[in-house]
Amino acid sequence: MSSLPSDAPHSIAEYFHGYEEDGKIRGFRCRSCGLATATWGLACSRCGAIGLEEIDLPTRGKVLAYTILHVPGDEFLNDAPYAYVVVELDGGGRVTGWMPTVKQESDLAIGDAVRFAPSYKPGVQFVKDSEGARSG
Amino acid sequence: MRETWVVGAASNRFGKMKESGREAATRVAMEAILQSGLAPKDIGYTFVSNAFGISEHQGHIGPLINNGLGIPGVPSATIESACSSSSAALHEAFVHVAGGFLDAALVVGVEKLSHLDTLAATSYFAVGADYPFEAKNGATFPGLYATLASAYRHAYSTKDEMFGAIALKNHANAARNPHAHFQKEISMETYLGSPMIASPLRLYDCCPFSDGAAAVVVAAKEFMTRPVTEPLVIRASARAGSVTDMQDRPDLLGLPSARLAAEKAFRQAKMSPKEIDFLEVHDCFTIAEALALEDLGFFPRGTAAQESLEGVTARDAKLPVNPSGGLKAKGHPVSATGASQVVEVFEQMNGLAKGREVPKAETALTHNVGATGGSCSVHIFSRR
Repeated sequence: MSSLPSDAPHSIAEYFHGYEEDGKIRGFRCRSCGLATATWGLACSRCGAIGLEEIDLPTRGKVLAYTILHVPGDEFLNDAPYAYVVVELDGGGRVTGWMPTVKQESDLAIGDAVRFAPSYKPGVQFVKDSEGARSG
Repeated sequence: MRETWVVGAASNRFGKMKESGREAATRVAMEAILQSGLAPKDIGYTFVSNAFGISEHQGHIGPLINNGLGIPGVPSATIESACSSSSAALHEAFVHVAGGFLDAALVVGVEKLSHLDTLAATSYFAVGADYPFEAKNGATFPGLYATLASAYRHAYSTKDEMFGAIALKNHANAARNPHAHFQKEISMETYLGSPMIASPLRLYDCCPFSDGAAAVVVAAKEFMTRPVTEPLVIRASARAGSVTDMQDRPDLLGLPSARLAAEKAFRQAKMSPKEIDFLEVHDCFTIAEALALEDLGFFPRGTAAQESLEGVTARDAKLPVNPSGGLKAKGHPVSATGASQVVEVFEQMNGLAKGREVPKAETALTHNVGATGGSCSVHIFSRR
């Protein structure tokens, strides 16, 4: 009988609180096919291999798709409008996040460089790489 | 496997229900059973869907529905698969009847959200995605489909009018459907002038929050010795899943679960898209209808929005899509939607779709997506 690898992955709560401590995005890499992801799991969502290695994901990347939310989610009432983004990280892996300082569609384009910029606000936040100061 | 039919199908008018979900569900269930020529006592199992029943402080409504139908001893179970809940329930009914475990089964889906404000309703809708990874990063349900729309527009350089054409067509169809939430046509000016919800999606790209209930009765051919309706033969009942998170999908130009379910369904039915006369697809947003038509194999990738602008999917055209008005204009009472797509197929094939008939209704396909594609059902029906 096989059992879970001893290094069962960090929890979802750690993902969302860990970066507040050290500014890193926690993630996983599949030991078999190399898929890098932030999404919690015990096996690879691409190849099915059991057992994922914990890694720190890159913190810079490019916008793969985005929307400007004018009607926000309930925890983001005071931040609308803002951008919700899917980011292709430099060196592999994708994460979703939001950009409090992007207020209209013309402020951002697919392919724009962005970087992880956590603040006291919830969620995984990005700012445009061209922006000097961190958001918040 | 036994030949399995849909022998009755009923819906209330979508929109705002005064009564509770449980009452509405019981009413449409009784209507569908009586229409089929069967009696409640013929039902061997009730598969019910009511994903957001907890918002009415009511779970476990199967026994309440069965009690209201006078069959409290009949088993029931709640089937939840977000917006594809009642097509998942239909799949369960099909499996049991086709497999010989039941002779007849009831499928009923119901949702009531109109007692909630927009913010609360929006929050309920967001739970069908990956809540911590998506909603906790600011995503709403329209926001997730807007993200797909942004990828589609970027890849294919589409224009707003293509998506407007989908909205106009579905509103025009719903204007002729007495079950529909919105029974009025809209103009391109109205569409283009409507406020941005989540760019590039405007208000008129989005389905409404609707209350509603729909029921379907499924029975084995051999059990229906004297059918009183024109039965729909279930030629395929297929489901599939996919990675829920956008961040883990190989591409954002379609829903992997829809592609998988469609492949399975066409294989099961031994049919191809060319043999389908009309479709009811899951157009919770206009972009979703374009993606559906491509995922199902009716149009090459990147062309469905353009084809819609050219009128190919109009009710009286070559490939009628959503003659009911779709989720977009008929409305989207989450757990009733999948069953209500079958109601439209049933009404079209039984001559009950007065004033909105499609030119040919020998075969039909329904496509019902759970949230942003974590799950998807595809059913194919034909006349006997």
